[in-house]
Amino acid sequence: MKLTPPAALAKLLARLPAYPASLAFATAFNLTVWKSLQDLDWEALQERRFCVHVRDTGIKLWFSVATSGLKAEKAGQADVTFTATLMDFTRLALRLEDPDTLFFNRRLLIEGDTDLGLRVKNMLDGVEFETLLASFPGVLGRLVNRVRERALREGMA
Amino acid sequence: MPKPLLELICPAGSLPALKAAVDHGADSVYLGLKDNTNARNFSGLNFDAKALAEGVRYAHAKNRKVLMALNTYPQPTTLKRWQQAVDTAATAGLDAIILADPGLMAYAMKTHPHLRLHLSVQGSATNYEAINFYHEHFGIQRAVVPRVLSLPQVENVVQHTPVEIELFGFGGLCVMVEGRCLLSSYACGDSPNTFGACSPGHAVRWQQTPTGMETRLNGVLIDRYADHEKAGYPTLCKGRFEVQGETYYALEEPTSLNTLEMLPEMHRIGIAAIKIEGRQRSPAYVAQVTQVWRAAIDAVKRNPATFKPQPAWLTQLDKVSEGSMHTLGAYYRPWK
Amino acid sequence: MTSPIKLALGPLLYYWPRDTVLSFYEQAASWAVDTVYLGETVCSRRHELRHEDWLALAETLAAAGKEVVLSTQTLIESESDLKALRKIVDNGRFRVEANEFGAANLLSKAGLAFVAGPALNVYNPDTLALLANLGAMRWVPPVEMPRAMLTAMPIPAGMETEVFAFGRLPLAFSARCFTARHYNLQKDACEFRCIDHPDGLTLNTREGEGFLTINGIQTQSGKVHSLAHRLGELVGTQVTALRLSPQSQHMGDVVATYREALDGTLPANKVATQLQPFLPAPACDGYWLGKAGLDLELPLTPTPLPQGARG
Repeated sequence: MKLTPPAALAKLLARLPAYPASLAFATAFNLTVWKSLQDLDWEALQERRFCVHVRDTGIKLWFSVATSGLKAEKAGQADVTFTATLMDFTRLALRLEDPDTLFFNRRLLIEGDTDLGLRVKNMLDGVEFETLLASFPGVLGRLVNRVRERALREGMA
Repeated sequence: MPKPLLELICPAGSLPALKAAVDHGADSVYLGLKDNTNARNFSGLNFDAKALAEGVRYAHAKNRKVLMALNTYPQPTTLKRWQQAVDTAATAGLDAIILADPGLMAYAMKTHPHLRLHLSVQGSATNYEAINFYHEHFGIQRAVVPRVLSLPQVENVVQHTPVEIELFGFGGLCVMVEGRCLLSSYACGDSPNTFGACSPGHAVRWQQTPTGMETRLNGVLIDRYADHEKAGYPTLCKGRFEVQGETYYALEEPTSLNTLEMLPEMHRIGIAAIKIEGRQRSPAYVAQVTQVWRAAIDAVKRNPATFKPQPAWLTQLDKVSEGSMHTLGAYYRPWK
Repeated sequence: MTSPIKLALGPLLYYWPRDTVLSFYEQAASWAVDTVYLGETVCSRRHELRHEDWLALAETLAAAGKEVVLSTQTLIESESDLKALRKIVDNGRFRVEANEFGAANLLSKAGLAFVAGPALNVYNPDTLALLANLGAMRWVPPVEMPRAMLTAMPIPAGMETEVFAFGRLPLAFSARCFTARHYNLQKDACEFRCIDHPDGLTLNTREGEGFLTINGIQTQSGKVHSLAHRLGELVGTQVTALRLSPQSQHMGDVVATYREALDGTLPANKVATQLQPFLPAPACDGYWLGKAGLDLELPLTPTPLPQGARG
């Protein structure tokens, strides 16, 4: 199954200035999965700045975690930076891929504060996929689940 | 009760991982608490009281067992916390606890006489005189043997002890005798024995440089990977070093242990259980690996004589392996 | 003025030719060490000295007034390893150091008082008390144990405490022989290459930093752990002896320096300088301070030994 992003979309996204992309991401995140994550222990992550670097599209998202959810940040220094392709980030988010496997294959890079990076990875792993899914609006949730189920059936996991 | 044979013991660093293990056919799941009372003390990983209760409920409802690793060494000022962890395990209805420290075993035996005790691989027992020591003094019922013995040596142990023997079957490979490795603390101050982690995150730095991706532990360069090269865990034993002018993996390559092809032999000598390494890994890994090993163990139990690892199993396991490679480790003598 | 703290010569961790070993211990007989640990603790394939040879050496050193202890192998895998272990336990004359729980088990069953070696992983009072009940009369804390942990440890009455105070640190043991691996040889056909490296093989990082030392199946520190400049800090620790680990050169000088430093005949602020030429690699002391083992923190003014520490 192909999960490749449309090339035109990728190009367009890459051309956007960093802040609006970060803002769009944070907003979308807060409207969906944040609901299922807000009860986690975010204490150790306050005031820390994250960067998600989508290697193939060139997009960099900058944000921090506040009590109300993700907060978009201006481009600059991050405490920890995650780098992978859009496809691999998507597969990680859908729980189709194991981060360590991606790391061994040089498809995932964690730079900066490794402990912070591992903490986030482990915290997210601790949330059940069904819980995450439940925080999506109905139609979107069903769609996401269908994509995942299909990928699992096709042995991509 | 018949003696257990080739039970499948799978890792869980989180509740979703535990459910993945149970759903994909683990006979037992092992886990740890959120502190240095176990040897996978990584930030954000492991179980708090709520997750523990739910995990035990979920596994028991499907007739599977839950084991708790309390396999680090308590220290004078923190002993109480380890003892409380033993109490937590007993109260939460764990099926066994996996211990390394004799003092803690004595506490467990005295305080919770019905709690089943396993000897952790961190206890470094590599011969039957040592294993029988833990049995005679603390009633240890199962021992996990360090990944240093050849299979004939394991067989000799099995023949000389009433204790069930559990072996590592798959996953990250310690080249050193577990419990007897201070490489991590030499470089960064935290040892698996007391801190509960080898190469803890706070000491690890990965950095993409013009000459490749560098891995450092507290500033010490462990390795530098060219773009096409597979990477390994940031552990000192899997790094590249220079010895007498030659730069190579001086201790071990980044590789995983995989003993699938030895299953018939392990079946024949009466290995009670096979342990899968990887509490630090994701639910996706646990699901994938558990599935393969369940199928393999079922196949070998049906007919050990005709058992052959299916190519699809090996492909699946290699995919999630460190360096995408596997080895038989010390079970196959020439490896040594 | 002499300090009540004793000096012990730890077991020889390297593989030296027979004549070298014999002459090393011949000299050791005249060094200021109170205790000498003998025997092969690293690899069962090493055979320059047989059990009977070690016993003969033990007799000679005992006759020279040394307390002799026979050390057992740290990694016991095979039936023949166990056979060798039982021979040591049953020697009928000399005290034995147990380096894993198989040995502790046999010694305890035989009703013999023994030394609990550094690889037994004794990190807390419960385990130490348990070992005392089994018959341990002395213990060597794990080499990574910091001073703070040691002082927090209630020590059973009569139990002696011996601290690893000098030498490359034994950090790890493996089934695999890294020296054989270096020469592309299998362990079972290793050609005994360890004999060519009297102080082990240096393992450098890719930045040329001497980091570890390969010694057969054992991995040691690259740096030399030394507490010589911290002897004043032994006060209040219940340490009764210091273990000095053999190296191929200047061992007699190392022993003499430690003895003089303990007895106060060598001023505390001169100890590090005097020891310096006898070190085969840079010094480290991080473990004692609860830091990374390879760290070194030289005190600006070393604490002098207070009067109370001297006999």
